[in-house]
Amino acid sequence: MNRVLIALSVGASMLLAACGGSSGATNPSTGAPAVVVPTPPAAALQGAGATFPQPFYDAARFAYNKKFSQVTINYQGVGSGGGINQLTKKIVDFGASDVPLKASEAAAMGGSDNVVQIASTLGTVSLAYNLDGVADGQLKLTPATIAGIFLGKITKWNDSALAADNSGVSLPNQDIRVVHRSDGSGTSYIFTDYLSNVSADWKAKTGGPGKSISWPVGDGAQGNAGVATRVTQTPGAIGYVELAYVLQTRMKQAALKNAAGNFVIPSAAGATAAAQAFAGTTPSNFSIVNASGKDSAPISGYSWIILYKDQADKTKGTALVDYLYWLTTADGQQYAVNLHYAALPGSMASFDVAALKNVTSGGSALLSVS
Amino acid sequence: MSKGTAERVAPPPLVAASRQRRLIAGDRVFEVIAYGAAALILLIALVFVIALFIPALPAVTKFGLGFFISRTWDPVRTEFGALPAIYGTLVTSAIALVIAFPIGLGSALFLAEDSRLRFLRGPLSFAIELLAGIPSVVVGLWAFFILTPLMRDTVDPFLHHTLGFLPLFQGSASGYGFLTAGVVLAIMVLPIMTALSRDVIRAVPRALREASLALGATNAETIWSVILPYARVGITGAVLLSLGRALGETIAVTMVIGNRPQITSSLFASGYTLPSVIANEFTEAVGNVYLGALFYLGVVLVLITIAVNVLARLLVWRFTSEATAA
Repeated sequence: MNRVLIALSVGASMLLAACGGSSGATNPSTGAPAVVVPTPPAAALQGAGATFPQPFYDAARFAYNKKFSQVTINYQGVGSGGGINQLTKKIVDFGASDVPLKASEAAAMGGSDNVVQIASTLGTVSLAYNLDGVADGQLKLTPATIAGIFLGKITKWNDSALAADNSGVSLPNQDIRVVHRSDGSGTSYIFTDYLSNVSADWKAKTGGPGKSISWPVGDGAQGNAGVATRVTQTPGAIGYVELAYVLQTRMKQAALKNAAGNFVIPSAAGATAAAQAFAGTTPSNFSIVNASGKDSAPISGYSWIILYKDQADKTKGTALVDYLYWLTTADGQQYAVNLHYAALPGSMASFDVAALKNVTSGGSALLSVS
Repeated sequence: MSKGTAERVAPPPLVAASRQRRLIAGDRVFEVIAYGAAALILLIALVFVIALFIPALPAVTKFGLGFFISRTWDPVRTEFGALPAIYGTLVTSAIALVIAFPIGLGSALFLAEDSRLRFLRGPLSFAIELLAGIPSVVVGLWAFFILTPLMRDTVDPFLHHTLGFLPLFQGSASGYGFLTAGVVLAIMVLPIMTALSRDVIRAVPRALREASLALGATNAETIWSVILPYARVGITGAVLLSLGRALGETIAVTMVIGNRPQITSSLFASGYTLPSVIANEFTEAVGNVYLGALFYLGVVLVLITIAVNVLARLLVWRFTSEATAA
């Protein structure tokens, strides 16, 4: 306790010394344009939640700590549900979830007016497959065939519905082995959100999107890595995997037909394009699957950070909003891009900043940027 | 005091009176500590069960005992039932015991009894201890990368070819499922089974063995009609402890069982177990009923474990009373 107090007072004096100056250093490694962010007070922040954005959060918090050594940020990837739970009990200062709060969850935090939710990053989902003789990107899938495969209606690779979209590709007479996530995950949510969006049949059968659902067909594997490995190992397998895992493991991924009718290979740029196609995205209207626009990657989604609007501890609250503000700027977002997440579109970054400006402590706003 | 007198001298007390008082005080302290420790264990067990049951209440009130027979596991519609997971847990554990029992007992006899291949004992003991020391996640990784392709390409097709007339070995094999999970569990319970059986067999009095051999029985006859009957209570205990280990094993099973809540007769098919469901879905379970259902699964698992323990006690009790009656 004493050490914390000392650390705080030391930090405070450092803050006084640095007072009046906003740090705006150019990032030496990328040469990105200088981003002016407020200098935070000394604080130790605790966060917990989703595992999907964890690599990004980890890279970002280390970078921020390097930039502002007075702020340390911990992040536990305990899952979205766990993050929301710990935020509700105020064990952590911010929670992270792949899906914004449901009404009942917000109610447990004192109502949606009591919380601020910002989009931190953007990801897209690929369909990876293991088929001899079919090269990376050669397999073309449409909303109808994806839904057919995951509903268990298309069971052979040489099914006529698949063959129709893949002229020139020799699809084998082989069983399709569907692999899905066994653990509850935001990736599953985005994927089932997409399926519910494009297939009324899917929605009727499974009841709509979910982090864990009752799958009509297929086996479960744990984590993106588990699905990726299982697909790589099993001839005839197909599974949905976060883009970053596909790129890192050099799996074969399918070209997906988007709402504009184009076949696109999922990419970070495609996710940003999809996000831009939805102008008014908010925490209550967050779905960006099956986006219009010719380059849009169809199975994309945001990841969210949740915090209380009224921060009990002013110093901590200030450090938190300063950090989150930095996270939404180009300086913070570069760590997402390096890890194959997509950069937030400008409209969403502005939404985030506006939301962060609402965070107060004792009635006064904490974020001091113009 | 002179020698030679007939008077008897009272023997000096074993400990001085002051020390005796101290000892009595020490006994008291020890007694309190011992009772306290015993009470603490009971308390922990009680708190544990209550702590498991309270969060399960929303699911218990919603699904009641129907939870045990429902086959649905649908988080989106919040409809939950434990039957596929109970089935998977029991089937994989049964497979594990069927495989591990003969191997474990055989190795135990080899280790405990005289044999011409005595020089192999050291390496075998070492191998078993090594097996016991491998963390389950490592066993799981090995199974995931090495065992599943082996099962898919070699073992399952062989079983399908030779025993395919049984419903157990029908259907197409992906390498993931009940059988693979059972094999993994067998590997994991083998050290317990072997080590405990070995100790039990070693504890058979030498006189019994020698009597049997002196009556002209062969080694095999001695083992079959003297040692195994004498040791069967202990061997039953070893089996049940192995079963307890198999029922609760989580991570290695999760990696190879396929994680699909279904009940099929084919051992090649994918399934699910109670601990796997909990491990998989706990992190992202939102809502009281969903979370409650996972805790309810935990309660079911505890109940099954208790049932196994009670069964073990009853068996041991029956055997011992038979033994004393005989």
